[in-house]
Amino acid sequence: MGSWGFIGLAYGVGSVALLLYLILLKRRLRGAQEELAALEGDGGRRTR
Amino acid sequence: MGERTVIASVPWAPEQGRAGARPSLAAKVLGAAAVLVLATGLYLGLVVVPPDAVQGEVQRIMYLHVPSIVTAYLAFFVVFCSSILYLWKRDLRFDAVAVSSAEIGVLLTGTTLATGSIWGKSTWGVWWTWDARLTLTAILFTIYVGYLMLRSFAEDPRAGARYGAVLAIIGFLDIPLNHMAVQWWRTLHQSSSILRPGGPSVASVMLVPLAINFAGLVLLCTCLLLERIRLERIRHRAAEARLKRGRRG
Amino acid sequence: MSAQAEGMVVGLLRRTWAMTWKDVTVELRARERVNAMLFFAALVLFIFNFALGPDREKLREVAPGLLWLAFLFTGILGLGHSFQAERENECFEELLLTPGDRESIFFGKLAGNVLFMVTAEALILPLFGILYNLDIWAYLPSLALVAFLGTLGFSTLGTLLAAMTAHLRAREVMLPLLLFPLTVPVILGSVRATEGILAGGGLGEVSHWLKLLGGFDLIFLVVSPLVFEFVLEE
Repeated sequence: MGSWGFIGLAYGVGSVALLLYLILLKRRLRGAQEELAALEGDGGRRTR
Repeated sequence: MGERTVIASVPWAPEQGRAGARPSLAAKVLGAAAVLVLATGLYLGLVVVPPDAVQGEVQRIMYLHVPSIVTAYLAFFVVFCSSILYLWKRDLRFDAVAVSSAEIGVLLTGTTLATGSIWGKSTWGVWWTWDARLTLTAILFTIYVGYLMLRSFAEDPRAGARYGAVLAIIGFLDIPLNHMAVQWWRTLHQSSSILRPGGPSVASVMLVPLAINFAGLVLLCTCLLLERIRLERIRHRAAEARLKRGRRG
Repeated sequence: MSAQAEGMVVGLLRRTWAMTWKDVTVELRARERVNAMLFFAALVLFIFNFALGPDREKLREVAPGLLWLAFLFTGILGLGHSFQAERENECFEELLLTPGDRESIFFGKLAGNVLFMVTAEALILPLFGILYNLDIWAYLPSLALVAFLGTLGFSTLGTLLAAMTAHLRAREVMLPLLLFPLTVPVILGSVRATEGILAGGGLGEVSHWLKLLGGFDLIFLVVSPLVFEFVLEE
């Protein structure tokens, strides 16, 4: 593997790690928001 | 000794409706700024700055590797401070900052390990050497992965927050001791100078992409931090909602 | 020292001793901890011999590391048990009801753990000398000092983490996972110092490692009891 191959690998791994974290974070956020909406939506209805 | 009251309320201001539902303006601005700064740093580091006289092109990996570990230490310092604040004030917001910063620190440390290993392969032909830097980074990684595991294995989230805070304080105090131990171990034992972990001294022109990338990473990680804290905030609200439902139902 | 301060210190020592004595008497009756530790250590020493082959010289080179591997694995075994009784009988709450500060609970537990580990080490060391043909008797005082400093540091963080992990899922895995990375300075310092001493260097040659061990012990002997109360509360 040439010099630029290693450089590409290093920056590639870094970018992929970052992107994966970002994607997973977005997914977690979406899931948590759905859960919250379900809890608060239901709860709101029950008091009526 | 004072009584410690059980915190049952959500620490953020009484939340109505969609507060916290979208990324804050700050997060968006920081994210955009980060992209710009990192793009500049990458361009300078990969294209403009000349290759190193001794190591050649692969030295350019340092422009990611070094800012990565420095930002990681910064992140773990934030974990340290917010852990102390949490144990003192018992405000769950500090705990949210702690766990969020720890996750980002682990991400950065992992990146440092990977880039360090790749650089080692390109320079010395091996994916791993037990030199001081790689070893210390590996230990750091393990300590904070342990932190995240400790939190998730605790029987309830508040105990997890407490245990985590204690571990974070101990762990951060341990870092300088680890440094001394591992560096003495390597320098007193290293027979071959080829494996010296120092590397060539940094020419002043090379400091520029290093500094820019560091600034870019700080911006990026602050953006990630804000978003991760927002996740904690939503989770806290959900926990409170669940509690309220329990009371009503 | 004022009378009040003196009273506080005496009280602390007395409560610490009570805690240690409780653990020691429990162990003397059941004898399960030290037995398990000794058996495990002997096993480790034997197996290393098979794993590393018959080359005498190679074994002598790695002997200090082997000794400390035996000490550390044995120590972890003992630490894992240190809050077992309280967890099984759900005495954690009772611990908190005993009058007195959390510090004395910590020091009491720590003293017990150090005592058990040092006892095991005192029995492992001669066995080690025999199996690996090393003259430990010539260097006994220096070796004892290193062993004590290392054991103290390992047990200080170990006691704190044992209390933390006692309640966790997968606690047998969590204790070593958390403790070993944090005690790398102790491990490195102890092994290197032992190595230097067995090579005939004397304490002067390994003084920097001893300073590291001493510094580590001091820092965490101060910090651990302070944060211990946060571990115990509920």
